[in-house]
Amino acid sequence: MAERAEAPKGPAAPPQGDPAPAAGRRKILAVDDSETVLLVERSLLSRSYLVVTAKNGEEGVAKAIAERPDLILMDVMMPRMNGFDAVRRLRSEPATRNIPVIMVTTRSEAQNVQTGYESGCTDYVTKPFDGPALLAKVKSRLPPPRDA
Amino acid sequence: MIETDGLATAEKVLSSAQQHGQGLRAVNEKLADLVSALRDQKERLARYAQAGGTPPPLAPDAPRDGIAPSEVGERPAPAEMSFARAALEQGRREHDTIRERLAEIQKDNERLCEEYAAIQQQNSDLVTLFAAMERLYGAAGRDDALAAIQEIVVNLVGSEELAIFELSKDGRRLLPAHAFGLGPAELRDVAVGCGTIGRVAADGVPFVAADGARAATDPPRLTACIPLKLGERVTGALAVYGLLDHKHALRGLDRELLALIEKHAAAAMRTSALREAAPDRPA
Repeated sequence: MAERAEAPKGPAAPPQGDPAPAAGRRKILAVDDSETVLLVERSLLSRSYLVVTAKNGEEGVAKAIAERPDLILMDVMMPRMNGFDAVRRLRSEPATRNIPVIMVTTRSEAQNVQTGYESGCTDYVTKPFDGPALLAKVKSRLPPPRDA
Repeated sequence: MIETDGLATAEKVLSSAQQHGQGLRAVNEKLADLVSALRDQKERLARYAQAGGTPPPLAPDAPRDGIAPSEVGERPAPAEMSFARAALEQGRREHDTIRERLAEIQKDNERLCEEYAAIQQQNSDLVTLFAAMERLYGAAGRDDALAAIQEIVVNLVGSEELAIFELSKDGRRLLPAHAFGLGPAELRDVAVGCGTIGRVAADGVPFVAADGARAATDPPRLTACIPLKLGERVTGALAVYGLLDHKHALRGLDRELLALIEKHAAAAMRTSALREAAPDRPA
């Protein structure tokens, strides 16, 4: 796939009012090979949280160890390392063992849900996800600062 | 804004309720004093009744308990009773007023919660549409633009079976340009005007299957077929087959996403191809 055109640095999220100060914000790592999904997640969450992204499971594990996020949103079907394997790796690392992981995937079959929980994920959201429902799940695990 | 107005109204009502509460408290204290004075009077009268004879009047400097010395034995109890009744009645009226106000506030609160949920959903839908547009027009080249369309259909609409067709130079056939989740049988050229896909390309009118009617399409299982347009000119088509298992029907947002693809996908493919062909030009 050709490299994407040089876009302005940082997420081009739509204006949503003043976000909470960076110092008070919890960090979320979003891992997905779809730029579109990352854009949606960043736009929905960046007002209340600091959002960092990764494009595959391998990059996701490396970023989780480096950034120590408070929560991870993990896709399942990704190149180089799928979401289940990425979560298993995270659970084996002392630095990332206890970070809650919400799987975000098109796969809703019971077998996949079971595999997800067995690999160590904390919760499960199917795509296409409902924005308010995803926000509610994230907020239930990471209450945002009071003014966000 | 809605939340600010609702909060301001709630604060005013709370302040008003607190003032009423304080008024009721003052009335209550007066009634308690009165009851205490009446009780003392009763005990005094009972003692003298037992001893026989009439009780002496209260000494001039004796504690008044709200009763003037010249009125001892003469001030009628009914006056104080009627004062107590009036105070009680006023208290009851104020209590009813506060209850009505609280019921109004509760209704306002429920309405505000519904409005907030609707606005939250609308905001989420706008975010999704923005992300789709950003992804389309941010594509680095034609292949990336086709991948963007696939991402939108798979992740935002909810189907993992799709085909993108481009119109041939002579305008008579639709040629498969990109597909995901489909077998070779579904990736054939389509004559413009033939079958559901061909008709969409000929008419420029999108097709969306009504619930349960996908079997009647040609080819079968078509959930939607959208013309790809540059302005009013049809340059191709997007065919969406089936839906994810947990997705039962297309929603309003899905139709908006498909409308966005109809209007902008072809232009995005064109601009990204130009950008790819001239990499030294500023974006």
